[in-house]
Amino acid sequence: MIKKFIEEVILQTGQVHQVQDYSTAGEILAQIAADHQLKSMVASTDEVIRPLKIMEWANKKGIEVKTADNFKDRASFKDYAFGQADAGITGVNYGISESGTLCLVHDINQPRLASIAPLFHIAILTADRLVPEYEQAVENIYTGSSTPPSQVSFITGPSMTGDIKAQSFKGMHGPKHLIIILIE
Amino acid sequence: MKTISMFIPCLADLFLPRIGEATVTLLRRLGLDPIYHDAQTCCGQPAISSGHMDSAVKAAKHFIQIFEHDEIIICPSGSCVHTVKHQYPDLLKKEPEWAHRARRVGAKTYELSQFLVDILGTKDVGASFSGSAVYHESCKNLRRLGISDQPRKLIDAVKNTELLPLKEADVCCGFGGEFSIRFPDISEAIVAQKVQHFINSEADILVLSEPGCLLNVDGYLQRHHPEKKAMHLAELLSHTE
Amino acid sequence: MEINTHRFTETAKKELKNEYSRVFLDIFRQHFPVLRKKAMASFPNPDKALEKSAAIRADVVARLPELLNQFEKNAIRNGAKVFRAKDAKAANEFIVNLAKQRGVTYVTKGKSMVTEEIGLNQALEENGIKAFESDLGEFITQLLDRPPFHIVGPAMNIPVEEISDIFQKKAGMKDPTLDPVELGQAARVYLRNKFHHVEMGITGVNMAVAETGTIINVENEGNIRMSKSSPKTQVSVMTLEKVVENMADALHLVRVLCRSCTGQKLSAYVSMDSGPKKENEIDGPEELFIVIVDNGRWNFYDDSQSREALKCIRCGTCLNICPVYTKVGGYPYGWAYSGPMGQVLTPLLLGLDRTKDLYHACTQCGACSEVCPGGIDHPKMLHEFRIRQTRIRPRISFKKNDIIDFFEFALWEKMVVHPSLWKLGVTMSRSATRQKNAVRMLKKTNGPVKNWTQSRTMPQIARKTFHERWNELRDKK
Repeated sequence: MIKKFIEEVILQTGQVHQVQDYSTAGEILAQIAADHQLKSMVASTDEVIRPLKIMEWANKKGIEVKTADNFKDRASFKDYAFGQADAGITGVNYGISESGTLCLVHDINQPRLASIAPLFHIAILTADRLVPEYEQAVENIYTGSSTPPSQVSFITGPSMTGDIKAQSFKGMHGPKHLIIILIE
Repeated sequence: MKTISMFIPCLADLFLPRIGEATVTLLRRLGLDPIYHDAQTCCGQPAISSGHMDSAVKAAKHFIQIFEHDEIIICPSGSCVHTVKHQYPDLLKKEPEWAHRARRVGAKTYELSQFLVDILGTKDVGASFSGSAVYHESCKNLRRLGISDQPRKLIDAVKNTELLPLKEADVCCGFGGEFSIRFPDISEAIVAQKVQHFINSEADILVLSEPGCLLNVDGYLQRHHPEKKAMHLAELLSHTE
Repeated sequence: MEINTHRFTETAKKELKNEYSRVFLDIFRQHFPVLRKKAMASFPNPDKALEKSAAIRADVVARLPELLNQFEKNAIRNGAKVFRAKDAKAANEFIVNLAKQRGVTYVTKGKSMVTEEIGLNQALEENGIKAFESDLGEFITQLLDRPPFHIVGPAMNIPVEEISDIFQKKAGMKDPTLDPVELGQAARVYLRNKFHHVEMGITGVNMAVAETGTIINVENEGNIRMSKSSPKTQVSVMTLEKVVENMADALHLVRVLCRSCTGQKLSAYVSMDSGPKKENEIDGPEELFIVIVDNGRWNFYDDSQSREALKCIRCGTCLNICPVYTKVGGYPYGWAYSGPMGQVLTPLLLGLDRTKDLYHACTQCGACSEVCPGGIDHPKMLHEFRIRQTRIRPRISFKKNDIIDFFEFALWEKMVVHPSLWKLGVTMSRSATRQKNAVRMLKKTNGPVKNWTQSRTMPQIARKTFHERWNELRDKK
């Protein structure tokens, strides 16, 4: 499943970095930030990204990271996500190996714009959250008596288009780069 | 062996009787003695496709009365066979007795290549033609009767003939009956491309299994590329050198 | 949207001469079906996958009222507001009022054919609200004021020079370029600003899941996610037929849709909304409005033949494989919907009178119905419209075409059942098709012969028909 997941992501020009633990993930993240000159990031606060301790990491590495609770309202959050953040970094609820798809359940800890506005989306995924098909993710999210999440996003590769001359390229309105750090 | 009754489509009767003649030659060469009912005229397909169902019903009843006592009916046109087998029962559904008679006739009506390969079990019909050929898949044969292998096997078995691939062989030739007359510009664009694929294939002949398709493509060839040849499958299969 | 269905033939004639469009139309027909087939092969059994999607759609259409009610109930339970719009006017008024009440000066829009059908952009503009199409193809056609060329690629046929030009004029692009990537970048910059500050996003709906009250959108560019995440108000517009019973069915259809549309296993983004944002979420809409548009569909729903048209999932496969569409492109179909699916839906919504060419411009080749995930038999439906049209028309009328039609088949009928008349007819017409002067006259007179011989030689009745030849052949064994 891991192998298939990675193959599918690469087909979409996404990148996958496999690491053993969160501290190595932090090192890889620093490398990624250096490689692409990412100076500022907007981050989610979901349970998958939490062990990364991103604010501490940010301080250590001299990179600016903000989360939703750093902003007093939607407008200032949007200004940052659209205008300042070089990257959005989020956890992922499920990785689906069928097509190398990331499933994000949006809630107070998983703002929507973090994974769509900045040019880079860095996604933290733990291997125990890999499932073979969309159905397993959807069943876990939508069955039960509680109201469904306001939004669930399936992300497969960076944003793209082929609308001009049928020539396709990445990075239309959403991220141009999708980088996944897979923690085993 | 059952008696073979020939159903020769109206377009062949009027404009391309050589298709009928080739069918006779071919069947006789195979040791069969086909009969032809003089009273046959048209299966009604033109009326059906333009929506004139009342007129079509009359044609269908005429057809059924002529052919229903035959043992096997064969026709060098998949579209006509489709009309008889698949459209007649629906056309006559308000008169169950007629619909029943239609289904009985339909069950014993076959397109020519289907008859030769699937019923007679023959691929080599003793034909020979020196040259290369490409085959156009007529829409009704391919999609309504599931006939595609049979003509290819027959062409392949013709002595000295090489069957070459034809680009977009399964794309419509642009005839579509009334379509070619109602929308001549679009029809022309479609048949022009079919012919271009034929020319690009460098094959000597284009083989078609529908009189309508042949009239369409050959009419365009004669106007624009008179040196290129198209023929009906029956003509190729009746050909000897 | 302006209706030009009655101009099919003249527009087709013009479009046939557009060499540039013809190149892309060939690409649609020669490459997209290959991509689709390759993608469908990732199903363990592609044929069964199509059967299943067809079965799902057939079930949806059969139970449409019940499923829509269930969807509405659950969407409302999730906190969405649902408005059932009887027609274009009602839908547009509702949305315009929403915008006005909230002081919205502009909206960003995801690609939505129903919003073209109802003419929403025009209604907004008439009320001083600018609508920015944000899908790259739609953005281009909007700036150029053109109808869509294709469901999936509305601007594929537009030369890059024209795009560069209009981007410089209207999208703030500084320097000319012929590079699609650079043009895309220019559009990104221009529209990004709009996404950033937008207060109302308008999207279509690919699927509305009844069981969970969820709407699903499928896209590659990210403009729909932007329009759903950035503004305080989200309006999603759907026609009746977009509903589906449960998530399992939705997932299957999404798989088939993406493979059919663009040859992808899944498009880059699939977003599923169940109500507005929850209280403490920092982005996402505070209000989610779902507009369910009727616009004539309930009118034909009771006819079991007509309602087959509602099975369409808007994948565009039928366009790519149609010999007619891939010669003339989208413009001749004269409205929001083109290709076989347009030929099947438009007459039902606009009436058989104004759309005569749409249901006649089909060779009945059947390529479309073979690949349709919805299981629609397009040729059969178009044939049904032809039958209905012969019955609406008075049997006796003095319009030229009607007179021809009347005689054509009234006469034909007699000849077919009386073989002697058939033979007489042959004898009488034979010289008309063989004699030089007669042929010349026929070729000049408006009618079937002139149309046929425009590009082909005159079909001549043989010196001896097969009937006549048989008399000789019968005995010559």
